[in-house]
Amino acid sequence: MSETVKQGKRLDHRLPEKFMPTIDYELCRVCKRCVNDCSYQALEFRESRVVPSGGCVACGRCIAVCPANCIEIRPVPPQFAPHGNWSERSRRAILAQSSSGGVLLSSCGADDEHPSIFDDLLLDAAQVTNPSIDPLREPVETVTYLGRRPGHLEVRDGKVIIREDDTPLIRMDMPLMFGHISLGSVSYNAQKALFMAAKELNIVAGSGEGGLHPDFYQYADRICSEVASGRFGIKPEYLKGVAAVEIKIGQGAKPGHGGHLPGEKVTTMISETRMIPLGTDALSPYPHHDIYSIEDLAQLISLLKESTEYRLPVGVKIAAVHNVGAIASGLVRAGADFLTVDGYKGGTGAAPRVIRDHAGLPIEVAIAAVDQRLTREGLRNRVTVCAGGGIRSSADMIKALALGADVVMVSTAAMIAMGCRVCQQCHRGLCSWGIATQREDLCVRLNSEVAADRIVRLFRAWNEELREVLGAMGIDAVESLVANRDRLRYRGPNPKIAEVMGVKHIGEGWG
Amino acid sequence: MKEQNGEYGRVDRNGLPVRTENYVASRPPAWQGQMGGCGIASCISLKGERIPGDRIARMLTIMEERENGLGAGYACYGLFPDRKDQYCLQFFFDDEEGKRNVEEFLDGRISVHHDEKVFTREQTTIAPPYPLVWRYFASVTEKREWRGARDLSEDDYLVELVKHINEKVEKAFCVSSGKDMAVFKGNGYSYEIADLYDVERYSGTMWLSHSRFPTNSPAWWAGSHPMSLLDWGVCHNGEITSYGVNRRLVEMNGYRCTVLTDTEVVAYLWDLLVRRNGLPVEVAAFAMAPWTYQDIALMSPGHRRLAEWIRITYKEAFLNGPFSIIVGRSQPETTLIALTDRKKLRPMIAGLSPDGGTAYCASEECAIRIVEPDAQTWTPEAGNPFVAVVGKGILRRGTEHPFQGVKI
Repeated sequence: MSETVKQGKRLDHRLPEKFMPTIDYELCRVCKRCVNDCSYQALEFRESRVVPSGGCVACGRCIAVCPANCIEIRPVPPQFAPHGNWSERSRRAILAQSSSGGVLLSSCGADDEHPSIFDDLLLDAAQVTNPSIDPLREPVETVTYLGRRPGHLEVRDGKVIIREDDTPLIRMDMPLMFGHISLGSVSYNAQKALFMAAKELNIVAGSGEGGLHPDFYQYADRICSEVASGRFGIKPEYLKGVAAVEIKIGQGAKPGHGGHLPGEKVTTMISETRMIPLGTDALSPYPHHDIYSIEDLAQLISLLKESTEYRLPVGVKIAAVHNVGAIASGLVRAGADFLTVDGYKGGTGAAPRVIRDHAGLPIEVAIAAVDQRLTREGLRNRVTVCAGGGIRSSADMIKALALGADVVMVSTAAMIAMGCRVCQQCHRGLCSWGIATQREDLCVRLNSEVAADRIVRLFRAWNEELREVLGAMGIDAVESLVANRDRLRYRGPNPKIAEVMGVKHIGEGWG
Repeated sequence: MKEQNGEYGRVDRNGLPVRTENYVASRPPAWQGQMGGCGIASCISLKGERIPGDRIARMLTIMEERENGLGAGYACYGLFPDRKDQYCLQFFFDDEEGKRNVEEFLDGRISVHHDEKVFTREQTTIAPPYPLVWRYFASVTEKREWRGARDLSEDDYLVELVKHINEKVEKAFCVSSGKDMAVFKGNGYSYEIADLYDVERYSGTMWLSHSRFPTNSPAWWAGSHPMSLLDWGVCHNGEITSYGVNRRLVEMNGYRCTVLTDTEVVAYLWDLLVRRNGLPVEVAAFAMAPWTYQDIALMSPGHRRLAEWIRITYKEAFLNGPFSIIVGRSQPETTLIALTDRKKLRPMIAGLSPDGGTAYCASEECAIRIVEPDAQTWTPEAGNPFVAVVGKGILRRGTEHPFQGVKI
């Protein structure tokens, strides 16, 4: 009987477009630069004109290269029947997943519209009882040191003893570092730009876990080498000349998750730098398989300190998770000279969407939790706390400092400075800006020097803004802002958050 | 309404009503600290002679524009030559019950050799209530245990007791707890406090004093200056913009902030850096008011290393924002330290009597001239400590290299 029931035709449920590049044909000179530059092949030349061919991700490359300024990328209006619970996002996810059957991947940070707690914080300023300071006329210092601190100075027989060698520190001109972005996840030119900028700004840049290309040894004194679970590219040169070494336990965008660089991206250069066979997948295990406990971590820290002859600070990076305070305390006791805490809005080159969007802790809360915990245990003045994950502006940076971070880590902002438009397609390796790709024809689109200059200008401007705010607060050195939660007030919807962070509510003053 | 305008019709210089809320030993509800400007004055006999109390009162009261009647105080050092090896614990009690609470707590924990009521006048222009002020001369017991910690040093043990009293014991506040010194302070104009305690009846080798111009806090007797812990006495004019940072450092080292003012934190910082960490005064002063890295780069290599390490190690001790402070201690020698912030946003002037016998530090020159018209005066540099010791003279004028005399 059932064979008589007719089956529907096979339909491959193509999803409606999200973005539509539209071309003003009156202005278009038909130069086809947009067609050539679109690595997503969302534009084609047909019947003497350029037409959209689907799959636009709004990377904005076409707009940037169009000499006639005739392209506009329009978000396509909702193509789904409105429903309060079944958002377009959720329906798209189901349709995509029922087509592919796979884990949905995405890149960059969590893109949900959950409000940032940074936006709920207001800064204080000095009035009358303490004078504000004009940073253009008087010194306002932003020099920051990264590493372990002794807690107190020793005095013996009336002599002050300085044990400099026990605690190597890195000096930076501003309380900022670039996060870990590996060669592999980004192109050679992109990583070079980051290193050049770090050198110029006199700050530190993370190497990512992809090893260090021999061309970049010249920037080594500004590079923090990452030792991740894959142990890629770890050799004497990777550890010895650098500024610091950091063990990566987790990443804010994908806490508890490892890494996967597909074999097609493992070019000759990547294979040599990572010290893995050409064309094989580079897999970073989820945990370090020699670290199943805090005491194992302590051993790896000792090992790295021993192999670098105690000349480098050795840090540990963790994703912000619910017990981040207790974990941070364990890291300090295990011997970490600095900690890096990465919030759930932190960026990534590729992550399962379910983890990216649903796991971890907002960095604002994590910073305050770590600072409070370490302070309570009398450990806070021994270590440097770095924090990042979704830092979008100098205001976010300043608030992160005031919440309790010594150093703020940024990555996405630096990528945007060099051209990234946060289209969240890094995992596809088609980056039209030559940043998150290994395709040679795309890589050559990025000029390291131009990109480095843009990064330098951006963060110099942030530093000026930091100095302006410090001056307005009547503070003339950035260390007096760090963990000065007294100078913050919360104006958001949930006072419990303020309470947890140890920040007063707006309107609460002294006496 | 009578209540709102001040039950006792108390107004300030400009005829504005003064808040009538008045708290003595107990902390005002919702107290979250205070801010404001102030006048400070001090004098020290370099030869070890006794300076009568009316001298310091004249110094302080002449600076009348620096106060608004909401707090003033005096600290006298070299005050009890007959009992100089005993701790003098001086208390504010709300009433007899506070006194009983403290005596009950101290019983068996310290041995009291003598106690007496501190003289206060019964009638003054200050709005009541007045505290019952009492002092105990005591030495600590042989057995010094506190919450499982054994064999604490005498000083550390006493610090724990005082912290506990100020935090937990009701209706009582320990105002000063040092040897050979005491603090006389309260809620009123400088001349009213001088009159209340009759400071003329005291004389000592060193005096500190302070008058307040708080901008917005209820009057709390215990919250007035000088703030004291052990023999440390701190008078502070300023507002520390890094308070939240500094407070964390002292709390990390076991201090508990009970008064919640920046001055309290400054007192704890001196105790931590100098008494507990053993730093020379110059090094402690540099930690609180360091040079900029730019200036440090111009120092000699040895000094540069020291300066950078002080800044790195004690970055939470860096007092940012405007301040000028006068710090006194009686152990091991009676010492006066005067220090301003590194930009010198609040005033400090030093002076020396023509016979070289008495040194002065104050917010304004008039405070020195009123008692020593022919004094030689000078201004200590920003962030550069003035240090004088009874019997030794002026060790630093505040114009020397910051590390002069520091051994590395």
